[in-house]
Amino acid sequence: MCLMYGYPFLSSIVRSFINSQGEFSFENYSKTVDLYLKDIVFTLAVTVVSTAVSAALAILLSVYLRLRQSPVSRLLTGLYKVPIFIPFVVVAQMMNTFLAPHGLLNLSLTKLGMIDLEYPLQLFNFYGLTFGFIWKMIPFSVLIIHGGFQMIDNSYIEAARSCGAGLMRVITRVLIPMNRPSILVALVLVYSQIVGTFTLPYMLIGGKIPTTITVDIAHRINYFRDFGVANALGVFSYLLVLLTAIYYLRSSVKKMAGAQDGEG
Amino acid sequence: MSLKRILSLAAELLMLVLVFLLIIGPMMSLFIWSVAHRWYWPNTLPQEVGFEYWKQALGMRTSLAIGAISILPAFFLSLGIAVVVVIISMLIAIPAGYALAKYRIPFGAFIMFLFLMPNAFPQQPIFVNLLGIFTRLSLAGTVQGVILVHILVGLVFGIWITSATFRSIPSYLEEAAYSVGAGRLYTFFHITLPLAAPGLLASAVFVFITSLDEFTGTFFIGVPFVSTLPMTLYSSSGYNMQYASVIAIILLIPSILFMTLIQKVLRAEYVGGMG
Repeated sequence: MCLMYGYPFLSSIVRSFINSQGEFSFENYSKTVDLYLKDIVFTLAVTVVSTAVSAALAILLSVYLRLRQSPVSRLLTGLYKVPIFIPFVVVAQMMNTFLAPHGLLNLSLTKLGMIDLEYPLQLFNFYGLTFGFIWKMIPFSVLIIHGGFQMIDNSYIEAARSCGAGLMRVITRVLIPMNRPSILVALVLVYSQIVGTFTLPYMLIGGKIPTTITVDIAHRINYFRDFGVANALGVFSYLLVLLTAIYYLRSSVKKMAGAQDGEG
Repeated sequence: MSLKRILSLAAELLMLVLVFLLIIGPMMSLFIWSVAHRWYWPNTLPQEVGFEYWKQALGMRTSLAIGAISILPAFFLSLGIAVVVVIISMLIAIPAGYALAKYRIPFGAFIMFLFLMPNAFPQQPIFVNLLGIFTRLSLAGTVQGVILVHILVGLVFGIWITSATFRSIPSYLEEAAYSVGAGRLYTFFHITLPLAAPGLLASAVFVFITSLDEFTGTFFIGVPFVSTLPMTLYSSSGYNMQYASVIAIILLIPSILFMTLIQKVLRAEYVGGMG
């Protein structure tokens, strides 16, 4: 593990500071900023928007599943999990067909009279990519957040209700604050996964401008064998997830230490 | 029934339909493409459907169209790689998971930290640098190289699941066995292992699926010589939509099957980093 993961990880950072002559320099970084600054911003934007939207929708769905016991909610509990294990490469192919200018989405919207097929929605860009990420990430977030909501005892909700709290107050004052840890974990995991995803943007957007950091890294390697700039881009992607990574690692280590003490 | 209840029921049903359409829509689109013989703009559905592309993909009929090669070799290659990856990973994950669950091992915290890293940081730069290392070891572009990468990706989750499984087995069961004179090995194979079997099976299936679906690592290490099923999907998606859709459905089936099987024991930590 040290050899297969630790060494490449360190080497990705070290090699980003080494230029083509084998000397220490910031050349790779200046080149990266020159060529790819736009893509770095694009990656950040896609990630932030996808994470925010999937978190918001996931919280809504989880609240609904927690508070409502009905045949419909039971059906939804089974249904929402379907995309969790679908690999990104399949999601990418799905979105390729679904979001295409004359794909199923545009055709259906035309049937409903919402758009004109002469001017279909162009979705192989920011919007389509965000849609794909949200499609894949909501189920995953609901899994975590709903799990957290299940841990909250009914008595808390009933107590708030009996004090006259309405639905909104129960959600914003009881459910969400009590479930903050799992909501944060969902946010963090979704965010860092999206930054690192290569398949979906590669198949959906490819080399169009702007594209994501992951696609740029692949181009740098495939076309130029340029490990220096590829690694500098890699370091930028590390920087994008730095805060979430620190939060995730710290909370996980804490949780594990707690579990170990509990056993001893 | 009051108006309010009717309204809330209507809202619920509307939401169900919406969620259903949003989840099933993209999958339907794949399926329609996989059976579309002719589908010209602006028809909502294909004018001619059939299983021609399935037959071509499964090698039952040959075609001269670009990219229309039988996917059977790629399928068996993926399957073979996945089986080897599962065997090697489980041989490592079972003892490692057991040790992490039951003993205070030196550098335990550091090892745990190392195993959390792939969840927290993008993995692509790792593959890029492994490519550099593997090129020097002449492992790049070989099946062995791809197997190593798949093990790297799958092992993290494999060990998570096995160690969680072993941790859930109360230690008094083992102590009871020791107290009636059973040895350590006997206890492990006759008490602990059977109790852990369901969790270990889940872990193995998880590693299997991860290997079957792995794209990014294979893309950097295996290309152009190792053509697994996801690689075939990628290379045909550019010019043969039907073909790519057939492969996508073939890859979709094990993931959904696995999802329904593992429902009960599903935990968020296992899912991160899939695909």
